[in-house]
Amino acid sequence: MTRALPFVVFLAAGFTVPWIGSTYALGVGLQLGMWIALTQSWIILSGMAGYISLGHAVFFGLGAYFVVMTWEVIPIWLSLPLAGLITFLFAVIISVPVLRVRGPYFVILTFGIAELVKYVVILIESSFGQYSRLLFGTPEIGDLYWVMLALAIAATALSYWIRFTRFGHGLLAIREDEEAAQSIGIPIVRYKTLAYGLSGIIPAMVGGVMALRTNYFEPEQAFDPIVSFTIITMAIVGGSDDARGPLLGAAFFTFLSEMLWASAPQGYLIILGVILIAFILLMPNGICGRIFPPAGSRI
Amino acid sequence: MIDILLSEQLLAAAIITGTLYALVALGLNLVYGTMRLLNIAHGELVMLGAYVASSGYNYFGISPLVGVIGAGVLTGLMGAAVYIFLFRNLLVKPELSRRLEANSLLIFFGAIVILQNIVALAFTGTPRGYRYLDGVIHFGGVALTENRLAGFLIAAAICLATAIFLRASIVGVAIKALIQDRRAAGLVGINVDRIQLLSLTLGFSIGGVAGALVSMTQEITPFMGFPYTMAAFVVIILGGLGNLVGGIAAGLVLGFIQIYGVALTSPQWNSILLYGAFVAVLVLRPQGIMRGGRGVR
Amino acid sequence: MRPLLDVQRVSKMFGGLQALQDVSFDVSAGEVVGMMGANGAGKTTMFNLISGNFKPSGGQILFDGQSVVGMSADRICRMGIARTFQIVRPFNELTLLDSVFIAAQFGARTRKGRSQAQVLAAEILDIVGLAERKDELAATLTLADQKRLEVARAISTGARLVMLDEVMAGLTPREVTEMLSIIRDLKARFDLTIIIIEHVISALMNVSDRIVILHHGETVAIGSPDVVARDPRVLACYLGTKS
Repeated sequence: MTRALPFVVFLAAGFTVPWIGSTYALGVGLQLGMWIALTQSWIILSGMAGYISLGHAVFFGLGAYFVVMTWEVIPIWLSLPLAGLITFLFAVIISVPVLRVRGPYFVILTFGIAELVKYVVILIESSFGQYSRLLFGTPEIGDLYWVMLALAIAATALSYWIRFTRFGHGLLAIREDEEAAQSIGIPIVRYKTLAYGLSGIIPAMVGGVMALRTNYFEPEQAFDPIVSFTIITMAIVGGSDDARGPLLGAAFFTFLSEMLWASAPQGYLIILGVILIAFILLMPNGICGRIFPPAGSRI
Repeated sequence: MIDILLSEQLLAAAIITGTLYALVALGLNLVYGTMRLLNIAHGELVMLGAYVASSGYNYFGISPLVGVIGAGVLTGLMGAAVYIFLFRNLLVKPELSRRLEANSLLIFFGAIVILQNIVALAFTGTPRGYRYLDGVIHFGGVALTENRLAGFLIAAAICLATAIFLRASIVGVAIKALIQDRRAAGLVGINVDRIQLLSLTLGFSIGGVAGALVSMTQEITPFMGFPYTMAAFVVIILGGLGNLVGGIAAGLVLGFIQIYGVALTSPQWNSILLYGAFVAVLVLRPQGIMRGGRGVR
Repeated sequence: MRPLLDVQRVSKMFGGLQALQDVSFDVSAGEVVGMMGANGAGKTTMFNLISGNFKPSGGQILFDGQSVVGMSADRICRMGIARTFQIVRPFNELTLLDSVFIAAQFGARTRKGRSQAQVLAAEILDIVGLAERKDELAATLTLADQKRLEVARAISTGARLVMLDEVMAGLTPREVTEMLSIIRDLKARFDLTIIIIEHVISALMNVSDRIVILHHGETVAIGSPDVVARDPRVLACYLGTKS
């Protein structure tokens, strides 16, 4: 029962927040939901398959860009899923050359891709004469909250479930030893591609929701490396081998940032960096690795 | 258009930029070659060096040409400290060293964020520059500010000195040996520990020096490091990982690509060219440089 | 009766190095074929070509009549060929049962339900003698046990042809005997065809129906153990003279 506790607590909290009746609470809840959704998606690729993505902001930014560009052209209930789909396709297409790069080179490549896409978007925007975009008439934060909650739940469910599927098992084997995994019949190219694409769908939709929330899009912000960095830190601190990890990691840092961001944003980031390094060296399995130590089979 | 492409001005710019890239990459290559560390925080060393020189001039009136030394010393000491406190001590414990090796990139990413924000806290994020040696010199058809020329000369001198050092001095040869085969180097009596310490110190120091030189000719911000890191990676992969002299040549190549690329398109393509080169080089690099197999955990 | 595996005039060049030249042999269903040769003779390269890790520079490889040249390694496994690695490659952070169970979910078997795959995995672990340790992580095993796990994992894929690469290397004589017995049990239970590379010559002679001897990438002799052991060329380049 204790193993399911985090899920229950977060689910209950998620449904309770709107009843508090405060815009501030909704804002925090939105943030928390966002980070949970992003981090859960990240661990599908980077936790389970072992392909660490240092540039996950690219999916967030692409989704935001799509929603912003199609604002008032396509209704939101269509543009959000489409943002996810288009980002999925993007990931699948670039995965052809990208997933052939292994080890640490893949890691820095993901960073380079995020930056490259950012600058391409900046170029495209400037060719339209735009440097940033404002949206008007976006949905209320209350409505957006429910969408984000749904995304967070979906991402958590996916991250939890995948572990028990044949696909998830294949990913774990790929993480352990890709060549050996191939030698037992796991279709590594197909699975890696699928993991890569899957890990981008929900972040894209999250990006879209956040664009609607802030009414604002600016490439430097949407593709900010700090987004990628924060995802990684939450995953490592919470535990990247467990669907409960992102819940804990996101909660910890969302509340930390609520306390520090307004007054000392640089201080907050410095703390983030220090905690990340400390956890990598001392507690690489994160908080979840401590509270729920893996014992025996977990698939 | 053709006149622009054929102008000596552009050629000079390409050579100067390329030499600077070569210098930055040299530092990274030293670190990577001897310790197999992909230091993605290398650009932050450039940033730190830039701030040392800039602060030296703005607050104390110290010439950046002297500030170069200060920058090199500071970052060099950082390299030594990282080696002594992190690698020497942690590597004694096998469990920690395994985690370090697998996650060094994430650790460096954390270091990047920490360094950027410490500097931003101390100096704010506003770009800053200063004017020093900005008289203009003319060589033939080329107009250069003195500071760019000085930067170029110093960078070129360091690259040349390093190339000679690697070939002609016993320590330099030892470094090359270590880069080629760490275990064999130890077996033939090379003090691996000391050479690694030296390489890390030198490598970091060169990064800081490059930053000091850069500060003379462009505005600096706490977040200026990434493009230099990218450039350094493009160069070391193009030139051959651990191939220090090859890196110098590759630096020039990148300088040419960027300067002529921008001339052919527009300044907005600057970053796209750089990051595009980075992505291209990683995707297209010949397989077999790095044994594939295990994803990083 | 068509052979299960037909290797026809296979060559492999690595840059300027000719690792294999014009090698031909076949393996009939149910046979155990041993492969011997000095280090560098090309034995593991041959395995890599059959399993799809490398592509031959020339020649043909037919499995059950179908060419497998150019197929990806995982596709070849799904066709029914599995292998072990000369240097073991365990799934370190997974349990023994999970390692074998995952193999049972992929490979050549027709899709098995989860519980069926678990039962099968448990059975195979039992045959190789690792049943008691099934919930331990693979990283904690001794080398000998890791080799058994590697064999178990390969078999678990449901392959018809299993290629064992020096599974006895580094084992004590008693462990060698145990491994031989395990191989026999698995072969009988799952109706396997086996190609086995070994340097432990006595074991190889013991278990093989026929032996292929490679030297510098070429076949030196192919035949039953007795014939091959007396072949003067084999004695000259590999076995040495012996009474």
